[in-house]
Amino acid sequence: MARYVVRRLIQAIPIIVGISIIAFFIVYSAPGDPFDRFRSNKVSPEVIANLRRVYGLDQPLPIQFVKWFTAFWSFPFDNTAWGFSITDGLPVRDKIFERIPSTLQLMGTSLILTIIIAIPVGILGAVKQYSIADKVIAVITTIGYALPTFWLGIILRQIFAQQLDLFPLFGKYTFGKEGDILDLLWHLALPAMTITIVGVAGWSRYMRASMLEVLRADYIRTAKAKGLASSRVIFKHALRNALIPIVTLLGLTIPTLLAGAAITEAVFSWPGLGYLGVSAVTERDYPVVLAFAMIGGAMVIIGNLLADILYAVVDPRIKY
Amino acid sequence: MTQRPTRTGELLSIDGLKTHFYTQDGVVKAVDGVSFGIRNGETLGVVGESGCGKSITALSVMRLIERPGRIVAGSIRLADRDLLALSDEEMRDVRGNAISMIFQEPMTSLNPVYPCGDQIAEAISLHEGIHRREAGDRAIEMLSQVGIPDAKRRAREYPHQLSGGMRQRVMIAMALSTNPELLIADEPTTALDVTIQAQILELMKALRERNRMAIMLITHDLGVIAEMADDVVVMYSGKVVESSDVNTVFEQPHHPYTKGLLASIPRLGEKRHRLEVIQGVVPNPLNLPKGCLFKRRCPSAMPVCDTPPPLQEIQPGHLSRCWLTPAGEPPEIGADAEAETAVAAAAALTVEA
Ligand SMILES: Nc1ncnc2c1ncn2[C@@H]1O[C@H](COP(=O)(O)OP(=O)(O)OP(=O)(O)O)[C@@H](O)[C@H]1O
Ligand SMILES: [Mg+2]
Repeated sequence: MARYVVRRLIQAIPIIVGISIIAFFIVYSAPGDPFDRFRSNKVSPEVIANLRRVYGLDQPLPIQFVKWFTAFWSFPFDNTAWGFSITDGLPVRDKIFERIPSTLQLMGTSLILTIIIAIPVGILGAVKQYSIADKVIAVITTIGYALPTFWLGIILRQIFAQQLDLFPLFGKYTFGKEGDILDLLWHLALPAMTITIVGVAGWSRYMRASMLEVLRADYIRTAKAKGLASSRVIFKHALRNALIPIVTLLGLTIPTLLAGAAITEAVFSWPGLGYLGVSAVTERDYPVVLAFAMIGGAMVIIGNLLADILYAVVDPRIKY
Repeated sequence: MTQRPTRTGELLSIDGLKTHFYTQDGVVKAVDGVSFGIRNGETLGVVGESGCGKSITALSVMRLIERPGRIVAGSIRLADRDLLALSDEEMRDVRGNAISMIFQEPMTSLNPVYPCGDQIAEAISLHEGIHRREAGDRAIEMLSQVGIPDAKRRAREYPHQLSGGMRQRVMIAMALSTNPELLIADEPTTALDVTIQAQILELMKALRERNRMAIMLITHDLGVIAEMADDVVVMYSGKVVESSDVNTVFEQPHHPYTKGLLASIPRLGEKRHRLEVIQGVVPNPLNLPKGCLFKRRCPSAMPVCDTPPPLQEIQPGHLSRCWLTPAGEPPEIGADAEAETAVAAAAALTVEA
């Protein structure tokens, strides 16, 4: 297994190089540049030319790429490795690292809640297929699946924060209470609920489908023929098999969690990575956008590897 | 419904069993009035083409029919217990304990994510109420009894690490681990290659002697029947069409369908250029023909076959669902009126309507 992981990581090197080349040239060959918005009668062209020179945008693209790419990898030791943000001049690495904990808190909470709710709901839907409970679940999850995240977020905020005043409107901490865990959870509630509702809608459907397929398997009939109680047939014999595709899918979707959080983070002004990424794109903050592309690429690779490792953990037929 | 002749010492008695599937396209009468019995220690062979209802009969005995299927009529008794009247919990105690079942597909009948030994031990600890560890030892013992070398190591292996023949041995070990009175074997060798088939049959014979259990052996291979069975039930389209002891069925088959089945077995040393096969296909269960279900494929079909033939006793212990006389001649009927009387007369003789 360890050898397999090392081999996969080595194979990831050319992929990362490829991602960086493509990301770099797409970002930089898009028409316009970050300083377009300064162009007006009040700003002289010399000032803009000067800014372009400071950020190295005046050099030929291949040279810019080589400079950026070689500097990029020193990030563990050098906080300027990813360049400086064009919007506020701060080192990109620090801007990103500072937001990682917030995103992990939001995504981690939502993911755990999603799994805890979606798996039992999926099992119930499959075991009681076509029952009233199954139909009610189907209606609710279909609605949940169809709702746009931003709309759901706004509605939840409107009801629970604005009208009922149960939760805060935005942010991560009340001013002056930074570091207070209860205050954090209070702020986390609505954004986490938004992501969880959308997540449960999808994951419970997958779980139901997977469970239904397993319940038709021959070995389930064997388990029943042994005289086992149906709870044991479901939770011992069917569940573990039904989880195999779910666990794999979970590993593969980890990178998309980052993107999914962006909208919710924006609605609730949650100081996370997604929020930063969205504003970087709208402001054409090239160094930040590129750093995101690289992080996204790395997460896809890690997510795939994780999926394969989890697959081997849950399924004895898979050995590396 | 009149009773089939009662026999003493029956372990399993099925009477007038009807198991229907309520599908979107209509009702599939997969098992439609099946009656037979198995005596203690006896092996009953159940034969018939694919789709004739053999597996559904077996699953009905286990009460493992899934929606949209339902047992709609009949009775199933095991010794003095009425299986269809038991509560779910009482039935679970019968499954895997008094009646065990092995399935056609050894490749998919074991759970891929648990070691083989654990899957056997699970049945033992459930029914014998003994501790996991002890059950594990018993499982290893069972594995060596069914001829698996190095049983201790094999018990820790997962199903995918075993060949098809080995897996079927594991299934047999699991089925026999609780000393059942009745073993239902649903095509236990169909998925295996010929040499392995022979080994598994030998094994089942040996274990049958040792455990003195009754076997309901489902197969469409008459060779397997000849080798294993005491009595034979021939099914066609959800009904029993002929039943008797194995010698009678092989030597004096009465029903044209049984004759057709026998004619389609290749025999060593016989110079036939072509095997005879039964013409045509099994009727669509959603659109059964009126009268005898076999008439469209029957070489002896006659006008009277538009009336469904009853299952009648043509010799003591030999039942056949055909209008032919016990000697195999067409009944002497000319006019329609005479046919009516013949039908009425036959109905009086009927063993099961
Ligand atoms: N879930 C179901 N829904 C509808 N019809 C079904 C269902 N299961 C079985 N049947 C029908 O029941 C009939 C008998 O099926 P069964 O499995 O008992 O056949 P079989 O004699 O065991 O055949 P084989 O030799 O192929 O195993 C078939 O016509 C089949 O179409
Ligand atoms: Mg079958």
